[in-house]
Amino acid sequence: MLYIQNRELVVPGQLIAEGGYNVREGAYREGKQVYASVVGLADLRGQDIRIIPLQGRYIPKPGDVVIGVVVDSYYSGWILDMNSPYMGNLFVSDLLRRKVDLVREDISQYLGMGDVVVANVKDVDERMRVQLEAGEPGMGRVKGGKLVEVSPAKVPRVIGRKGSMLNTLQDVGECRLRVGQNGRIMIWGKNPRMINAVVEALLMIEREAHISGLTDRVHLMLEKIKSEGGE
Amino acid sequence: MKKPEKLIVNGERLDGRAPDELRPLKIEAGILERADGSAYVELGANKVLAAVYGPREMHPRHRQQPDTAVLRCRYNMAPFSVDERKRPGPDRRSVEISKVTREALESVLFLELYPRSVIDVFIEVLQADAGTRTAGINAAAVALADAGVPMRDMVSSVAVGKIDDTIVLDLTKDEDQWGTTDMPIAMVPRKKLITLLQMDGHFTKEEFEQALDLAFKACEQIYGMQRQALREKYAIKQEE
Repeated sequence: MLYIQNRELVVPGQLIAEGGYNVREGAYREGKQVYASVVGLADLRGQDIRIIPLQGRYIPKPGDVVIGVVVDSYYSGWILDMNSPYMGNLFVSDLLRRKVDLVREDISQYLGMGDVVVANVKDVDERMRVQLEAGEPGMGRVKGGKLVEVSPAKVPRVIGRKGSMLNTLQDVGECRLRVGQNGRIMIWGKNPRMINAVVEALLMIEREAHISGLTDRVHLMLEKIKSEGGE
Repeated sequence: MKKPEKLIVNGERLDGRAPDELRPLKIEAGILERADGSAYVELGANKVLAAVYGPREMHPRHRQQPDTAVLRCRYNMAPFSVDERKRPGPDRRSVEISKVTREALESVLFLELYPRSVIDVFIEVLQADAGTRTAGINAAAVALADAGVPMRDMVSSVAVGKIDDTIVLDLTKDEDQWGTTDMPIAMVPRKKLITLLQMDGHFTKEEFEQALDLAFKACEQIYGMQRQALREKYAIKQEE
């Protein structure tokens, strides 16, 4: 038995449902009852109950694509800041996808301090030590582009339903975007003015995520800047 | 102010409230830009600000707990929050209040989700008129929820006491000073679990039960306002 509607705003401690539901993140079970544990929108899908949080830090989980910044290196890899309470660990072999002879090879040629890296979260253990990998095509060190940071809770809005917002940004903004689950977004494009327009659009998404009709407004704004033309 | 003859005249308190009436309460969520979560509470003449940072990496590292997050609370009174300037910095009173506040909040948080990290709660009293620790806890609970920290429930808090042999709710500074008993209480409203209970003065068993009853009802009311404050901040607005 459900006590709320789909997409309804819930606050911690609010009763959501009673009975045999699958409780996902943002909710918890107490006996038969299911309660919300964060402020967010209820996402009810069949037997699954999930609360989409509206606030909060990025907590790494396996399978996420993140954008990290190299803050330290050690004998066989690097430590990446992921805009999270936890640092990420990237071994050379998980970057190059081959065996690396550390005696012969100097790994500093692959990544240096301050480099931006697109990586995949390979594993997170119970002590929240994070293993990253960046061997897939399109991953690894980022060359050029612009990095923007938004709240990790707003990432679903940046992507939009079935990627609608992301498509708008890329098509109208004439840019290519890479969105990390940790709220970092890379933008590549030819036209600096449109890149700045997309940055503005992203900041607008973050600011106005709670006001409906967002995709249309972003579309309008980008079209307007585009039509103004110029250099 | 000199001690008044009577603290309750014709069933009315010095500020015109009934014995079981709260002071006007205002709660606002998410008012600080830089904090992960924040709240501002006004309870009568009390003005309290709470800010939450985290979960974030714990420094110093040796205080990290490998299996859980750590909650750190700081209750601090501004030098200008009271009539006579308060010497800034932590003193015996604020260290104690910080500790009991932490313990009042700790049990509702899912700290085990964030091993090795820390959640910082700062409570700043801008203006004090008795009951600042309860106002601080109310603000901190809203700020924690605003920061997106998973919690079992909110924590609501209120003080009860005895003045002129009457059990009253939410004492003001004058009532606290001239009254006989002051008892701050914090609780998890849904399950009626008490997470803070202190007492200055004394109650008989019957009085204590009556006072507790009063506090339960008031916390229910505060709980509603805390939830309302969060709803107001996060409600989906229609396009203007």
